[in-house]
Parts: sequence; structure tokens; C-alpha cells
Amino acid sequence: MSFSWIRVGAVARKEWYHVRRDPFTMAVGLALPLIMVVIYGVAIDFIIKDVSLAVSDSDHSQASRRLIDTFVSSNYFRGRSVPNPASAMTAVVSGDAKAALIIPPTFERDLLAGRSGQAQILLDGCDNSTVTPVLSYLDTIEAIASSKLAGATNDLPYDLRVRYLFNPELNSRWFTIPGLIVVIMAILAVFLTALTVAREWENGSMELLLSTPVHPIEIIIGKAVPYAGMGAIAIAFVYIVARFAFGVPFAGHLWVFALGCALFLVTYQAQGLLISIATRNQAVAMQVAMISGMVPSNLLSGFVFPIASMPRFFWYFTMLLPARWFMTIARFSFLEGSNFSQLGVSFLALGLSCAVMTALAVRAFKRTLE
Amino acid sequence: MEDEVVVEAKQLLVRYGDFTAVDHISFAVRRGEIYGFLGANGAGKTTTIRVLCGLLPPTSGDVRVAGIGYRQDEAPLKAVARPPWGMRISAGGYERVERTIKTKVGYMSQKFTLYNDLTVGENLDFIASLHKMAPAVYRRRRQELLEFISFKKNLGDMVGELSGGIKQQVSLAAAMLHDPEIVFLDEPTAGVTPAGRLRFWKLIRRLAENGKTVFVTTHYMDEAEQCGRIALMRDGRLIAEDSPAGLKKLIFPEPVFEFDPIKPLSFSELKSFETHEAFSFFQPYGHRFHAAAANAEVWARRAPDLRTIFSIRPIAPSLEDVFIRAIEGRR
Amino acid sequence: MAAGEPISIQVRDVHKEFRRFEALHGITLDFDPGLMHGIIGPEGSGKTTLLRILLGLMRPAQGRILYFEGGRPASFDVLRPHIAYMPQAQSLYPDLSIEEHLAFFRDLYGIQPRAYAEKRAELLSVSRLAPFVDRPAGQLSGGMYKKLGLMCALLRSPRVIVLDEPTTGVDPISRRELWELLYRLLDQGILVLVTTAYLDEAERCSKVHLIESGSVIASGEPRALLDDQKARSFDELFLRRAAGSASE
Repeated sequence: MSFSWIRVGAVARKEWYHVRRDPFTMAVGLALPLIMVVIYGVAIDFIIKDVSLAVSDSDHSQASRRLIDTFVSSNYFRGRSVPNPASAMTAVVSGDAKAALIIPPTFERDLLAGRSGQAQILLDGCDNSTVTPVLSYLDTIEAIASSKLAGATNDLPYDLRVRYLFNPELNSRWFTIPGLIVVIMAILAVFLTALTVAREWENGSMELLLSTPVHPIEIIIGKAVPYAGMGAIAIAFVYIVARFAFGVPFAGHLWVFALGCALFLVTYQAQGLLISIATRNQAVAMQVAMISGMVPSNLLSGFVFPIASMPRFFWYFTMLLPARWFMTIARFSFLEGSNFSQLGVSFLALGLSCAVMTALAVRAFKRTLE
Repeated sequence: MEDEVVVEAKQLLVRYGDFTAVDHISFAVRRGEIYGFLGANGAGKTTTIRVLCGLLPPTSGDVRVAGIGYRQDEAPLKAVARPPWGMRISAGGYERVERTIKTKVGYMSQKFTLYNDLTVGENLDFIASLHKMAPAVYRRRRQELLEFISFKKNLGDMVGELSGGIKQQVSLAAAMLHDPEIVFLDEPTAGVTPAGRLRFWKLIRRLAENGKTVFVTTHYMDEAEQCGRIALMRDGRLIAEDSPAGLKKLIFPEPVFEFDPIKPLSFSELKSFETHEAFSFFQPYGHRFHAAAANAEVWARRAPDLRTIFSIRPIAPSLEDVFIRAIEGRR
Repeated sequence: MAAGEPISIQVRDVHKEFRRFEALHGITLDFDPGLMHGIIGPEGSGKTTLLRILLGLMRPAQGRILYFEGGRPASFDVLRPHIAYMPQAQSLYPDLSIEEHLAFFRDLYGIQPRAYAEKRAELLSVSRLAPFVDRPAGQLSGGMYKKLGLMCALLRSPRVIVLDEPTTGVDPISRRELWELLYRLLDQGILVLVTTAYLDEAERCSKVHLIESGSVIASGEPRALLDDQKARSFDELFLRRAAGSASE
């Protein structure tokens, strides 16, 4: 029996009727992107400014003053002098300060003697919302400061400035919203398609469907199409909101980004269908979709936790996740303006997982009831 | 005691929006009766049963089940202020009534009765806990009922692995667990084999002999023959109510014959008999046919011809004939 | 009118194992074209399994199914589009209307618009469902639901139609209407395979095959079969058998 687009269309149209008439699907498809954009874009603001920093400088040297300067001039920290390390500690513990910088009396001497200058940073580890961004500021500040301080013993440069590449304002929305596209698409693609084939089994209609000339691949494509359409609308929606409501710049090539979207959408739809085909049960399919699709795309794609700081095992594990590669494509397209060849590795990985998932889904689909 | 009315409906009306599912029906059922409810799919049988079991508040009318009654007056025309969803009786009042009703009735629905992925024992345990039965009472009752249905399998068997007939019997036991006075059976034997249906109806008759009132719907007319009285429903109305024999006399005043074709007939040949002037009624019944004579004069004139094609003998009409004529003939 | 040559099916020593029910232990049957074959037997005797195997929805553990077109052997894959099926369980989409079901199956079968328009009108008038075309299947009564299932199966003018308990849970009038639809098919030379729990319906088949515990116990014309067993009806025959097995 040869492939027929008419049958694909029939399945797609029928699926669209289900979508249109099911309030749950409509809610997930339309309301969810909206809610997530509002939550991540408006309600949660990752921008940390004026972090109160308790500074205990026991050295009072040129080097120590420069280090303090580096922090304060970044605009992210508001420095406040405290007399000794103990009171710096007290400030953090009591909540008067989010962080403390403690410079020992030997700081400049160590530097001048060619040893590494030791300064201590104390952070309020309870306040998770500030730790991550503060740490990332510190990383950068420290790297610049130490290289400058150590490398120029006699001739200390005055021009110490932190400059964030690609996101100069360190605007968290710029970083979050392109990533949000990944999360929203993961939910739409895996979650909704995971229910579709299982619904046919539960409904009893699979028996009838299998007795018609329709081919598994036609069912798979037909079922994916309406949800792909919903995914495309969601992407366009988030893109427009990102660009015009939140002013996120798009530095890259639209077609590169679109290709990434398409590949990712197909991959995750195939994953959803595979789950649906294998479980034949909506409740189970929903659980599996949650664990295998939504959780990794949220937690392991680099959306919430930076991949670079993950334990080694997870770092390797993320290599298997299409979401990780698409996250790279989305963020680099938006913020860095990378072209196709610069994102070659990500595209290769994404394309590979797309092919594997699709093949698995088609293979898993049996034409018998057994 | 014997003549005590245990189920009574007066001017019962149920509307879903514009659609009238049950249209001002009234009937009374006595203790120990097997009362059959017949009608086409969608005639309002299940809706009526749901009202009687306290699962659905009626739009209006009086209902009295096992001595508990409630009344729903039709909204006065002038009461425009009444919200469309508002019930005349307060929600708390209806809930109290329906909860009391549920302790006195058992209900076995056509679709769902038991959990397929639980064992027989687990299903019964669950239902007993819903009724808050004391453990000792429950165990005794369970034993009685399992003996009553001659249950030979294990309590540890999965319900999903029982055959349809045994599943129906276990469902009946589950519906009877809290020892209700009245049991409502909504198409209890759909999809069960003839032998299974026969066994099931033996149980129903024994229930009635023990003073239980059985209210049953079915599409099998041989089962309907075993009811004490039958109510025929069409489009939400009760169009006839009598014993099976009484209904047959009522619907077929003229003589009825069985026609056995001497040689097999084609579909188009048969079609022509449906409009034959000798018949006021002509329907297939197995490979034979049941027919009613239009009038004595035409019958006498045409019978000799017909005898060359069929062997003919007088019979009492079946309930199926009654059903078809009563429901379809007046469409 | 079904285009193409009549199809017949031969079942040869088919076995299928299951844990408890519906197993088959060496079924051999001939289904000749243009006849209505009734497959009857107690629940769990293997009727549904047999039908599913004929339809390629299950594979036999042992044995073969042979398909013939105009008397010549043909492969199932070639004949598949001409074999229609109406499963026993609910298998339509509750949120799709009658019209949407018909359009869906039209596209699955690749029926041309003009042929479809004719067929649709014919089926709607015969089934008397025309006033309800916009009603979702989930809101149809039992009889209407079954008729819609049959319409979906008949839409492509099949040469074989397989019906698994088409009249279970259907009131006597709808039952008669369904049987009228089936009789019309017979006049067109279609092979009809039907299982039923209503034994009066079995008498109306051209041939009856009695199955018990996965084996064929009798097969033939209903009247000859009844005469043979000295029973007046299949009800009587089955009750006698059930009584016999219960006393064992």
C-alpha cells in the first residue's frame, strides 16, 4: 500500500477536531506558553543589582583597594566597610549583607612576592535566587581582577572593568526567554503527542483504524501535524513577545533558528509518539512524558542550571538530550548571532537524535493488536 | 406487606436543557415484583433509573423509593428570578434524601460495575467500605452472596479475567452487598451468553421470592417475558404498562401466526410480504416470520396462496413482536 | 455494488494461545462468497480472536488463512482495502460527529467525491441517520452508534464485511434495521461474517458455524443443522448444551 497524503490529511484533520474540542489540550497548547512567558519574563526577574557586600579590608594596600574597586564599580555590588572579618561574617549571618569580601593583611605582600593573593568571599547560601548570579559575577570579576593584579606588580592598571559579552546589561530575560522556547516546545511536543496514540487504544478506535488501509507512518505524520502547528504558533508567539515586549535582540539568522525549531519539534514529537505507542495508556504515557521529556528539558538543558557546572556524569548525559543542543542553538541565535556552521555540532547532534527518535517511533508502531 | 408500594413516581419529569428525557411518567412497583422497563435506546430508561437511585435530581415530580420521598415542584411560570440551575429543593435537602435512598437501593449499571484490575475480594472490600459495613457483617454477607451466586472461583481472581457471565453475577453480588430492599439492574445481561443469561435470571427470580424488588431494563425479550409487569417507554413517555400476557393482548388484538418458509426466500421476496394486504404486521423471527392477520375476510381469501410458500401455525405473539409494534408502529 | 470479483476465505488449522479465554485450537472453516456466515458460540470461545486473525490484526500461532479472489489465490495485502470490519467494542470517536466520521473514513479509503456523495446519501437514508449528521458519536444511542459503525465500514463498498456482535446492547427495532442493512449487502454478492449473542439472528444466516472452547463443533445451513440436532431453535440447542456441560 503506497503512501497517501490524503490519508495523512484525514488523520491530521481528525486529530485537529480532538484538539479543538478538548479543553485540556487547548489549555496546554495556548494558555501554557502565555503563562510561562509571564512567569519567566515578568514575575521572576533574575537581575541582581546592588547586592550588599560587607568588605573587611585588613590590608589597606593599593592592591586590596583595587580589588574592592573592581567589585563596587561593577554596579552589582554596594560595598560597606566593616572593621574586621568577624563582623563581615556577622553581617552575612544577620542578613545585613548578601555577601562579604574578606581581604587578609598579607594580600598585597603575597601578590608582590609572586604568590597568589588570597581573598575570601562569603555568600548567603540560603538565598538561592542570588547565589547563582552572584557567583557568576564573582567568577568574572575575580578572573579579571586577579590577572590584572598579578600580572602587573609595578604598574597596576586602573582600567579594571567587567564587561559581559553578548549580554552587556546582564539582563536575565535575554538569557531566559530564548531558553523558554525550548521548555515550552518540549511540553507541547512531548506531552500532547504522548496522549494521542494512547487515546486511540483506550478509545478502542485503534482496532478499527488498523483494519483500514492506513499505514503507521501516515498515522504518525497525521497525528504530529496539528501539534506541530500549535508548536509553531507558540514559537512565533514567544519570539514576538521576546523581541517586542521584552526587547530581546535577535542577532542571528532567522532560518538557522527556524531549522533548529523544526528539528527539535520533530524530535520531541517522535519521542512523544514513541511513548504513546509503547504505553498504549494515557495515564502512563503522561508520566513517562513528564519524566523523559519535560524534566530533562527544564533541568538538564542548561535552562535552569548551567551545564558547565554540572557533575561530570550529568555533563556527559546532557549530550544525549536534544533539548541541550536546541538550547544552544536558541541562545546563540538570539544573543550571539551564530551562523549555521558555528552551530554545526549542535545541529549535527539534533539531527541525529531526530532521525533516531523518528525511526524508533515508526518501528514501534505495529499493525497488529498484539 | 405484599402489596406495599416500594417504588413510586408521579409526574416525573427530567429535562437536559431543551431535551426532555423523561416526560411526566407515573408508575408504582410493589414489594417482591420484577418490574421490567423496555424501550428503544435513548427512550429514557436509564435516566429514570438514575433518578430513582438518587443519582440525578428530577426536574419536577414526586418520587418515593423505599419509604423515602421527595418532591420537586415544577417552577411556577412567574418565577423569573429563579436561576436556571437552581433547584427548588435546597441542595442540602436533596443530598440528604439521596444519601438515605442509596442505603436502601442497589444499582448495577450497564457500563461500569467492577474494577477489572482489582480482585473479586478487593472489589467487594471496596464496596463494603463505601457502605461503611462492619467487618463481621460484611464477611457474613459476602459469604451469603457468594453462595447465592454459586461462586466457584477464588476471591483472589482478577475481575478482568472472569468471563462476562460470572462478572455479571459478581456485580449483582456487589450491588446486593448492603442488603438493599430494591435493586435496579440496567441492562445487566448485555453481551452475556444465553446460558449465562438464564443463570442470571434464576438469581433475579430468587431475589424477588425473598421479598426484594427488582427493577430491570433489558433488550432481550425472552428475559422480559420473565418480568411480573412491563413498562414500555418511548421518547420519554410510558406508552403501556401490563403483565407480558396483558401487553400481548393489548397490542395484538388480532390473531398472530408463525410463517415457516418452505423454501428459502430472497431479501426482495421477503420485502414484498411486508406490504402484503393480508398482514397488519410481518416481521422476521429467526428464519421464520411472525405475522398478524389484517382482517378475517382478506385473511380467508389470501391464506391458501400463502400456504404454498409457508407452513403456517397460530401462535401467541412474542414480546419482541409487541415491542416492535408498540414502539415502531406508532412512530 | 461492490466492484471486483468475489472474495472467499479459507481457514486452515488455525491455533492461537492465550492465558484464559479466546484461544483457538485448530479451526478449519470455509467462508464462501455471497453468503452470510454466522459464527456463534459462548463468550470466550474464540470468535473475536478468529475474526481478528482473518483481518490480519493478529497472527495465528499455527495454521494458515487463505484468501481467494474470483477463485484464484490472492494475498491479504492486496485484498485488505476490500475487507471492512466493525469491532465489538466501542471504536468510534465520541467527539466526532456522524458527518466527520464519514469524511474521515472517506479519506482513509481514498473514495472519490462523487462516489462518496452517492454512498453517503444512500447510507444515511437506509440507516435513517440523516437528521443526526451533526451529532457527536458520544451522544448517539446504542442502536444509532452501531449503525454509524456499520456505515463507516460500508462506505468503501467492501467485498467482505466482518461484524463482531453488531447487535449487542441494541434494542429490537434497531436490531432489525441493522439486519436489513446486512441483507441488502447479501443481494450484492458480499461475503458477510457476523458473530452474535442473539440466537434468533443465527437462524437468519446462510451458514452457521458453532464454536466452543476454540474448536468448531458444527457447521452448516442453520435449518439443516437444527434438524440434525433435533432442536427447534438455536436457543434450545445452546441451552441443552449448557445444561449438559453444567451437569458434568
